[in-house]
Amino acid sequence: MIQASNIHKTYNDGKVKVHALRGIDVEIKEGEFTAIVGPSGSGKTTLLNIVGGLDTPTLGEVHISDTNIAQLSENELIDFRLNHIGFVFQSYNLIPVLTAKENVEFLMLLQKRDEEERNERTTKLLKAVGLEDQINKKPNEMSGGQQQRVAVARALASKPDFVLADEPTANLDSKSTANLLDIMLRLNEEENITFVFSTHDQRVIDRAKRVITVEDGKILSDETR
Amino acid sequence: MLLKLAWRNIFRNKRRSLITVSSIIFAVLFAVFMRSLQYGAYGNMLKNIVSSYMGYVQIHSKGFWEEKTLDNSFSLSEIEQLKKQEGISYLSPRIEGFALVSFSETSKPVAILGVDPALEKEHIKLDQKVVEGNYFSDTKKGLLIGKGVKEIMKLSIGDTLVFLGQGYQGSMASGAYPIVGVIDLKTPELNKRTVVMTLEQAQELFALPDRVTTAVVGLYHDDWQDAQQETVAAIDTNMLEVMNWQEMLPELRQLISIDRAGGTFVLLILYSIITFSLFGTVLMLTEERSFEYGVLIAIGMEKNKVIIVAVLETIIMAIAGVVAGLFVAFPFVLYFNINPINLSGQMQEVVERFGFEALIPTSLDPSIATTHAGIIFVIVLVVNIYTLQKIKNLNPIKAMRK
Repeated sequence: MIQASNIHKTYNDGKVKVHALRGIDVEIKEGEFTAIVGPSGSGKTTLLNIVGGLDTPTLGEVHISDTNIAQLSENELIDFRLNHIGFVFQSYNLIPVLTAKENVEFLMLLQKRDEEERNERTTKLLKAVGLEDQINKKPNEMSGGQQQRVAVARALASKPDFVLADEPTANLDSKSTANLLDIMLRLNEEENITFVFSTHDQRVIDRAKRVITVEDGKILSDETR
Repeated sequence: MLLKLAWRNIFRNKRRSLITVSSIIFAVLFAVFMRSLQYGAYGNMLKNIVSSYMGYVQIHSKGFWEEKTLDNSFSLSEIEQLKKQEGISYLSPRIEGFALVSFSETSKPVAILGVDPALEKEHIKLDQKVVEGNYFSDTKKGLLIGKGVKEIMKLSIGDTLVFLGQGYQGSMASGAYPIVGVIDLKTPELNKRTVVMTLEQAQELFALPDRVTTAVVGLYHDDWQDAQQETVAAIDTNMLEVMNWQEMLPELRQLISIDRAGGTFVLLILYSIITFSLFGTVLMLTEERSFEYGVLIAIGMEKNKVIIVAVLETIIMAIAGVVAGLFVAFPFVLYFNINPINLSGQMQEVVERFGFEALIPTSLDPSIATTHAGIIFVIVLVVNIYTLQKIKNLNPIKAMRK
């Protein structure tokens, strides 16, 4: 499903070249619940960005559902992200002027789905993340944990092939973290949704089904549990 | 959905939106008020000299304007047919001559204006310029003197002025007429040298029976270019000349042209300041929101749609700013139209030296408001090209990293 081959990424930081990724090969199959772990600066977020089509590799190819995303134009890539990838960010990044319901519905509106389908799916997803009673609240009226659950519902709204989550629990307390992980695991198990997340949170690592450890831009270990 | 997003974004950060809208309001207020003041000043000059004294178009015997002698006069029958023209409301015959007037031991050269009292009352509102004494009546013939003449010669109502000058075809012009009123022609230069009498009296004084030197062409509206063409087409231009106010008063036209150019230059500076000020606001807002734009693009919103949201926000704020700016500007413009700025001191002296009234009212011409509101609206849209360009080139990763 996701196949990244020989991924290299080099940044120019002033006069210094930074090798963020040095030849990563990774394959993630449908239904996986994978954590990419490693210390800060190891390259896990860069890998996630490249897999998510937000960044381009200096060398190597990323194939998602038989599409080489490096060959897509900017607009095609945006469209690809909309229809194939769900994103959950560390600081939630919900649209502040929209309610929980509108945030979840937003991507479906961009996909031009009809109203009935939007309403049905929004209700279902907000119920799945336990926020069916918060649908009319705006992000600033919700806790961090609630916002991150809305972000998960939003990521799933467009029916993506997989969800990429960058440090999804970094800003959450332990109760919210456990709650979010329960939801993500349940969606993974019951609806076979693929989750790939970067983290250095041990609570997340403990519950991941596959753990890929990255260090100095290389895969150090790849453990399936 | 995009409109909803744009609308709510405006109200999300009220202070930010208020800064933007306020800068537009200020820009509209300043531009409209400044231009209204400038156009109001021109309007006042024209009103004082042209519409309430000379008229926009005059007919003379050919060569009269070059050589203002009574020999260059014409008979009213030569322009009789003009009364039937569509755009011409009336023809006011005048005699314009010169004579030396004396009272007691004082003498002064004056410009004599012989007019049809009824026509001048109806159309030029000459009766409303009487500040002392009375206007002409059937029983009260005599003279209306400029208030400057009165002051210089120390005259009073009822005094008799003695005239001495040259009449038609070299005849001697002499006569004595009583003063019935004092007029304020709103222009100091005119006030100092003008004496008005009835056409009949002037014809008698200058021995110019049934002839006039000038016919003021009255218009139904201020479109004097059309009226001039119409007049030229209807008369014998081998014998008569048709002149508009710009030809008769080239110095006024030049003054207005120079002042208008100066005003345009000042306005350009103002618009530059407004543009940079608005650009500063847009620059700040765009930088502040690039993270948000990055998120929208990252999750799958096409850049064009993000641009549409940004443009909609700008348009809504620009409309609000421009409309509010016009509402704020209107009372100021109206107030200074009713209560014109009264120049004093050196400014007053300078303006009066040019022969104008030292008053600057604002103009209520709606085209000033619409033009400048429109220009500012366009400026707002133009400075937002930066935002559009920024979104177009936005790298979501870099934007979200900030």
